[in-house]
Amino acid sequence: MNLKIAWLYPELMSTYGDRGNVICLTKRCQWRKIDVTVQNDAAKADLIFMGGAQDRQQKIVAADFLGKKANLVKKMVENGIPALFVCAAYQFVGHFYRPYQGADIPGAGIFDLYTVHPGDQAKRLIGNVVAKLLDSGKTIVGFENHGGRTTLGPKMKPLVKVISGFGNNGDDGFEGARLANSIGSYFHGPLLPKNPFLADWLIQKALEVKYNKKIELSPLDDTLERQAHDFIVRKYGR
Amino acid sequence: MTVLLAKLIALLSKTFNLGAGGTWPGEIALKLDSKILSKIVPKNVVLVAGTNGKTTTTLMIKTILKNAGQKVITNASGANLLNGVVSAIITSPPGGWGVFEVDENSLPLVLHFVNPKVIVLLNLFRDQLDRYGEVDVIAEKWQKALKNFTGRLVLNADDPLIAILGNKNSLYFGLADRKLFSKTPEHAMDSQFCPRCWAKLTYDGYFYSHIGIWRCPKCGLARPKPDITTASYPLPGLYNRYNTLAAVAAAKALAVPANLDGFSAAFGRQEEIAGHKIFLSKNPAGFNESLRTAICLSPKKLLLVLNDRIPDGRDVSWIWDVDFEMLGKRQVLVSGDRALDLAVRLKYAGVSAEVLPLSNAVHQADFILATYSAMLEVRKLLTGKKIL
Repeated sequence: MNLKIAWLYPELMSTYGDRGNVICLTKRCQWRKIDVTVQNDAAKADLIFMGGAQDRQQKIVAADFLGKKANLVKKMVENGIPALFVCAAYQFVGHFYRPYQGADIPGAGIFDLYTVHPGDQAKRLIGNVVAKLLDSGKTIVGFENHGGRTTLGPKMKPLVKVISGFGNNGDDGFEGARLANSIGSYFHGPLLPKNPFLADWLIQKALEVKYNKKIELSPLDDTLERQAHDFIVRKYGR
Repeated sequence: MTVLLAKLIALLSKTFNLGAGGTWPGEIALKLDSKILSKIVPKNVVLVAGTNGKTTTTLMIKTILKNAGQKVITNASGANLLNGVVSAIITSPPGGWGVFEVDENSLPLVLHFVNPKVIVLLNLFRDQLDRYGEVDVIAEKWQKALKNFTGRLVLNADDPLIAILGNKNSLYFGLADRKLFSKTPEHAMDSQFCPRCWAKLTYDGYFYSHIGIWRCPKCGLARPKPDITTASYPLPGLYNRYNTLAAVAAAKALAVPANLDGFSAAFGRQEEIAGHKIFLSKNPAGFNESLRTAICLSPKKLLLVLNDRIPDGRDVSWIWDVDFEMLGKRQVLVSGDRALDLAVRLKYAGVSAEVLPLSNAVHQADFILATYSAMLEVRKLLTGKKIL
């Protein structure tokens, strides 16, 4: 079996360890003898990843991505191809980003959500987060660092319930978003290495959609990942 | 009045042996008079700023000035916020010269109170995101702060974000030896885009990270021809060539001989204690260079130490931007608050890692790469003394 991962804008959108998500997905496939190719555009990809970006880089991406490319990814997401959008990408795939001053910045409209920045006087949402996946109750750990407050629209489900940390907006107690087989999240960490079952879920879904059959991934020895994960849960989970 | 108070604080600090390099004397003085720096600053000042290399470069410039017969005050211990600079002045014997390393975010503030002869700007790399925010924002703040600067800028020509800050009066340093170009581009690259027009830069070659011989194909902005490209290098490592060139360029700007006799490594920066070499490594670009340098020196055993306290940055995600894959089949030791994160990162890099408590690990390794607070702990364990 093989998997084509689309890593969108790796040079412009790869702040703070985000590439670790691509490394994690790639290795977990290769350890199972699944061939992986990483490409930089979404066409014919089986799995999509987009990471965070600084403001100026985000504007350059928007000029290139909004329109045809965004519509292609939107169709792929709606057809069940798994995608992971983290940090600035998570905001960017929504409807818009409302800065404290100035006009709304349009997003790709792939996820039904929007983000508002409440201004420099409001505190930035920073820190280690421990949360629980809504369906399985498994814990997820990560580190958030965002000024924007994200609100989900009716088409989206949150990814996790926050046990300790701020989440999407510091208000409703949830973090992240899900649509079909795709995930958005503010989590640094990066998200996947210390939450390997999430990585495996994305890989499994990608293969199931690609090969149109039920897939069971061979288990890997995740002792180390679990130790690193549990360390955060013990230290920061209330 | 406040100068008298400052002297009193200094006397108290000395009497109770409260240690040079702390920031509390400065903290107190600033509470009494927020403008005190402008009143006590030495006549001649050199400021050194940048993400990596401040401490080493500052010490090199201090050495150069001392060899030229000057009395020099520095904030040697890396206390580089406003309170650290004030503390250094208060607790040091008087000197005609001050050479101070300044934290990236503090440079604009310090420039309110000081009019330096020379400012050395080394580089800008992605550092702790939770403390510093974005590299572009820092560069912009520097540009604003330097508008009224009448002294001389000494700039790294090979870093586009630094080079663009120059004017007709600036002095540039950089590498010219193309044999030093790196074979493969690193991941941990920032500023690959023109700081003026945002087009993608083209490079003849990269020396490391985004540092290299660069040009913008769109607006024509290009690496200025460096005035200083060679020196005699007292420390190994490509990054230390830059630190040395910066110090030599500063010497030229100050019209003193670039005499580095008597220079030895700053604490924690390739400092050697009891047969252990310590490399401060606190962001992807710096860590990559430390790894490269350490590997070249043929270590018997490498120890990597990762903490996530405030001076280290609470978010350790950045370790995934470090190219640990270059360690190959070596077996390394890992320690620190976030040793497990390091171990996971190394697992995915194909490197085998043994997690050990720091007090054990420190004695088993001849080369130790550590984040800031971890470096302090390592030094304490190896010397049996507290530094700050």
